[in-house]
Amino acid sequence: MAFLSLTNVRKVFPNAQTAAVEDFTLDVEKGEFVSFLGPSGCGKTTTLRMIAGFETPTAGAIVMDGKEISNERPNQRNIGMVFQSYALFPNMTVADNIGFGLKVKGAPKTDIKQRVTEMLALIKLEQLGGRYPYQLSGGQQQRVALARAIAIRPKLLLLDEPLSALDAKIRVSLRNEIRAIQRQLGITTIYVTHDQEEALSLSDRVVVMNHGVIEQVGQPFEIYNFPKTAFTASFVGTLNMHDATVLDAAAGEVRLAGASIAVPSAALGGHRAGDTVKVALRPELLYVHPTGAAVENTLTGVVENVAFLGAVARIHLAVGDTTILVDEFNNPQLSVPAIGSTLTTYFTPESCMVLG
Amino acid sequence: MARRVSWFAWFWYVLGALYFIIPLWGTFVFSLQKERGTFSLAAYQSAFADPKFAETFLYSNVMAVLTIIFSLLLVVPTAYWVHLRVPRMRPVVEFITLMPFVIPAIVLVFGLIKTFSRPLTILGVTVLPPLTNSSLSTDFLLVAGYVVLSLPYMYRAVDNGLRAMDVGTLTEAAQSLGAGWGTILWRIILPNLRSALLSGALLTFAIVVGELTIATFLGRPAFGPYLALIGNHKVYEPAALAIVSFGLTWLAMGIIDRVTRGQGGTTTGAH
Repeated sequence: MAFLSLTNVRKVFPNAQTAAVEDFTLDVEKGEFVSFLGPSGCGKTTTLRMIAGFETPTAGAIVMDGKEISNERPNQRNIGMVFQSYALFPNMTVADNIGFGLKVKGAPKTDIKQRVTEMLALIKLEQLGGRYPYQLSGGQQQRVALARAIAIRPKLLLLDEPLSALDAKIRVSLRNEIRAIQRQLGITTIYVTHDQEEALSLSDRVVVMNHGVIEQVGQPFEIYNFPKTAFTASFVGTLNMHDATVLDAAAGEVRLAGASIAVPSAALGGHRAGDTVKVALRPELLYVHPTGAAVENTLTGVVENVAFLGAVARIHLAVGDTTILVDEFNNPQLSVPAIGSTLTTYFTPESCMVLG
Repeated sequence: MARRVSWFAWFWYVLGALYFIIPLWGTFVFSLQKERGTFSLAAYQSAFADPKFAETFLYSNVMAVLTIIFSLLLVVPTAYWVHLRVPRMRPVVEFITLMPFVIPAIVLVFGLIKTFSRPLTILGVTVLPPLTNSSLSTDFLLVAGYVVLSLPYMYRAVDNGLRAMDVGTLTEAAQSLGAGWGTILWRIILPNLRSALLSGALLTFAIVVGELTIATFLGRPAFGPYLALIGNHKVYEPAALAIVSFGLTWLAMGIIDRVTRGQGGTTTGAH
């Protein structure tokens, strides 16, 4: 039995025309790290808040550790939560913030002191226990917020876009810290983010949400490489997604940007010649054509733009009216194609995803 | 160009300061002239020597403290709940708290007397005896009137304090750590409202100590009516007491400034 189960959970806010969350069903195993990923307004935070107890589901059930908690008050659930805005108590020192939950529970002073020391060591802020939140940087404040949430030994840890307010470098280092601490403590964690890189790098599983419903649940590798819907494919990672016309479904042949392209024939099951399908291609799976080599799928166009992104150079290739993105790994020995030059790119049929 | 603007600003600043200081200075000098031909503190000695001064001043102080306590009990939970749960009601509550600016104190006190000087009955059963029959119950009525008078100041101070913090998220953070409403109010909200509460309390204190109308019509021995009385019968003592009142007000403002200065702060330290 799953540690946390959400079954057909629905949330409609008063006076709202549509449901914020619709038919949300998910099982989370003990110790698992699950991310809710989606754009603003997709219902991920509302779902998290229902788990925390700050919102009541309109329908459905939330069961944690074998107990229905849908109608329990937030202070009875023993769920730790980390907020985007840190939410540290400004009138308390770092140590008092961390010990607050234990104090509320009536833990003995010696236990509180010991736990606070442990937590400060865990977040590597041993020297800052006596400081006030306004004397800390954003990254330090969020580490304190994390320590405060786990000090109470919660059954479940919820993180609501905890890194959104931090700068890029701190975000990366702190997310690694969060994951390391989560692994160390084995605490079941749900993480809300709109940042796909964060979700993919941190999670055991990712729940992609859009318009209040789950689009796909899967491991990061699965979500990225085998998206089940056009939304998941386009939201996670950069994607070339264009309409193509089926030429021969049995042979797996479509017309894309004026060229005949081979795709996995199984992907065209149920389609007939003349149907329009969406063909999606990751830019990193397109290669610049090696002169003279014979390959199956080729597209030739004019280089519109080249964006140097560090690890890759992103080439914008105009093939007729269609712009195709091609990522070429950075190699200081090779020059990037000139704007206006003609370029041929190739890709394997297996790298084509057919959606809808 | 910037220097010209600066001189212009200084001109108005000095003019404004003179507008306040000259009458005050005049009052102060006048208060020192009780003894003909010399400056002395005789008016102050005379004012302080009157036992009525200490009696009324103490009485008003007690009433002020009670008013502050009842105001806080009424305003803090109301403002907190409005911020947290019913933000749409904020304009309505603000409107209600501003009523004392529109309704004169004389109307308020007559309303209180008319309503509470007779037994309050519901379906023939007396649920509240007349409140003007004893000193204690009239004092209660006086405090109730003062609470209404202090509402605009107290509510605004608390409201500003609540606006300055993320009430919703702090409440949720405390709830997720197991805290109930009492703990949240006592341990999180009130300590973070410290300077706002102090501002509201001191403004309330200043209003109550000098209040005349309600105390006069309820017949209570307060400091406001005493000041009015000696103003009618003596010459130099009212000026001396006015200076003392100003001194107390400035002391209160100084305490507010001292306590609120340096609150909050900026983010420092390394990432």
